[in-house]
Amino acid sequence: MNEPEMDDLLRASAPAPGTLDPALLKRIADSIERPVRPVRPLPPSWLLTAGAVLICAGVALAGAARAGFFGFLKMDVFERALIFSALALLIPVAGSEFVHAMIPGSRRRLSSGALLITATAILAGVLAILFRDYQTSRFFSAGIACLATGFAHAVPAGLLAWLLLRRGFAVNYVSAGLAAGALGGLAGVGMLELHCPNFQAAHVLVWHLAIVPLSAGAGALLARALGSRRPASPRNRG
Amino acid sequence: MQPDCNLEMLMARYQQGDFAAATALVECATPQLHRFFLAQLGSRADAEDLLQETWLRIHKVRHTHRPGEPVLPWLYAIARHIRVDHYRKVARTGARARELEARAKGTFADSGQFESAHNLEALLAPLSSGEREVIEMLKVAGMSLEEVARATSSSVGSVKQKAHRAYKKLRERISAMGLAQRQSAKTQSGGPS
Repeated sequence: MNEPEMDDLLRASAPAPGTLDPALLKRIADSIERPVRPVRPLPPSWLLTAGAVLICAGVALAGAARAGFFGFLKMDVFERALIFSALALLIPVAGSEFVHAMIPGSRRRLSSGALLITATAILAGVLAILFRDYQTSRFFSAGIACLATGFAHAVPAGLLAWLLLRRGFAVNYVSAGLAAGALGGLAGVGMLELHCPNFQAAHVLVWHLAIVPLSAGAGALLARALGSRRPASPRNRG
Repeated sequence: MQPDCNLEMLMARYQQGDFAAATALVECATPQLHRFFLAQLGSRADAEDLLQETWLRIHKVRHTHRPGEPVLPWLYAIARHIRVDHYRKVARTGARARELEARAKGTFADSGQFESAHNLEALLAPLSSGEREVIEMLKVAGMSLEEVARATSSSVGSVKQKAHRAYKKLRERISAMGLAQRQSAKTQSGGPS
C-alpha cells in the first residue's frame, strides 16, 4: 500500500466533521463574557528574549559585583573570550526557548530537554579544554559552597524570567519550567565564572556545571507542582 | 473549516474586543477542534466538554496570540493542553475505565460517527501517543508539517520523524488487518473511500 492510499484510508477512518449541534455552538459563544475586553497581545519574541537575557546578565553581574570578580581577574584573555562567548551564545538560545515555551503555537527549534543537554555539553567541552589543573583539594567543601552560591543566583534569575513572561501561557508546564531553570542555571554559572578563582578541572566541571541541570530540574519540579495545583476550569456541560 | 474563514483576521478583531468576531471564530474553528477531540477521545460527550473548556481557556489567554502568527497551531496547542490535562485527571480519578465502558456502550449520537472513530482508533492502536497525534493532525485535520510542529511545540524534523515511524507501523498494521486489498479495490472501482 502506497502513501496516498494510506492517506485515503486514514481520512476515511476518521470521524466525519458532521454538523455540530447549534446549541453547543451557542453555549460556547455564550460562555464568552460580554462585552469582550480588548487585550494587548504579547510583545514580540525578540523583545521578551532580550528581557530574559538582560535579567540573566544582571543577576550574574550583580552577584559577582557583590562577591568579587576574582575568577574573571584570574583568567587570561583566551579563557575569558571562550567562556563568556559560550555563555553569550547559550543564554539567548535558552531565553528564546523559554519564551517560546510560554507562547502557545510558537515555533521551537529545540525541546527543553535538548536545550539542557546541549547547554551542559557545550559548557563541559569549553571548561574541559580550558582548565587542566587536575588536583582535587577541598573538593567537597569548596564545591558545595560554589554550588550553593550558583544555585542562589540561578533561582532569582529563573523566577525573574518567569515573572517577565507572566502573561504567557505554558502549554507544557514541565517543559517551560525546565527551560526557565536551565536559563537561570546559565546565569548561576556565569556568576561563578566571574567570581570563583578555583580553576581545578574537577571543581569547575562538577560543581559549576551541576548548577544547570540542578536548576533545570528544580524549575521543572516547581512548574509541575504549580501546574497540578491549578484549579480546574469550570465545565458547563449543558 | 469553512472556506470563507480568515482565522487571523477574526483573531485580530477578537483581541480588539469584537464579540461578533469571537462568535465567528467559534463557528469557524469549532468543527475542526471537535473532530480533533472526537478522534482522540471517542466519546462525544467528553469531546464537547473539552471543546467548551478549550474555548474558555482560549478566551482567557487570547492575548498570547501574536498578530501575524498562524492561528490554527495556536488553537491546537491550547486544545492539546486541555486534552493532556483531561488525561491526567482521568488517570488520577481512575475514570478511564468508566470512560472506556461508556465508549463501548456507544455514546455517539449517530452510529456512523462511532464506527469511524472506532476504525481510526483500531488503525492507530499500535502508535505511540505522540505519533498518533501527529498523524491525526497531518492526515485527519490536514495541517502542514510547520503547523503541526507549532501545535505540538516541537521541531519540523521531529514531526517528520514521528510521521515516518508512524507510517512504518501503520503499513504493518494495515497489512495485518487485511485492509490494503480492500482499499486498493475501492480505489480501482472509483467508489467512495
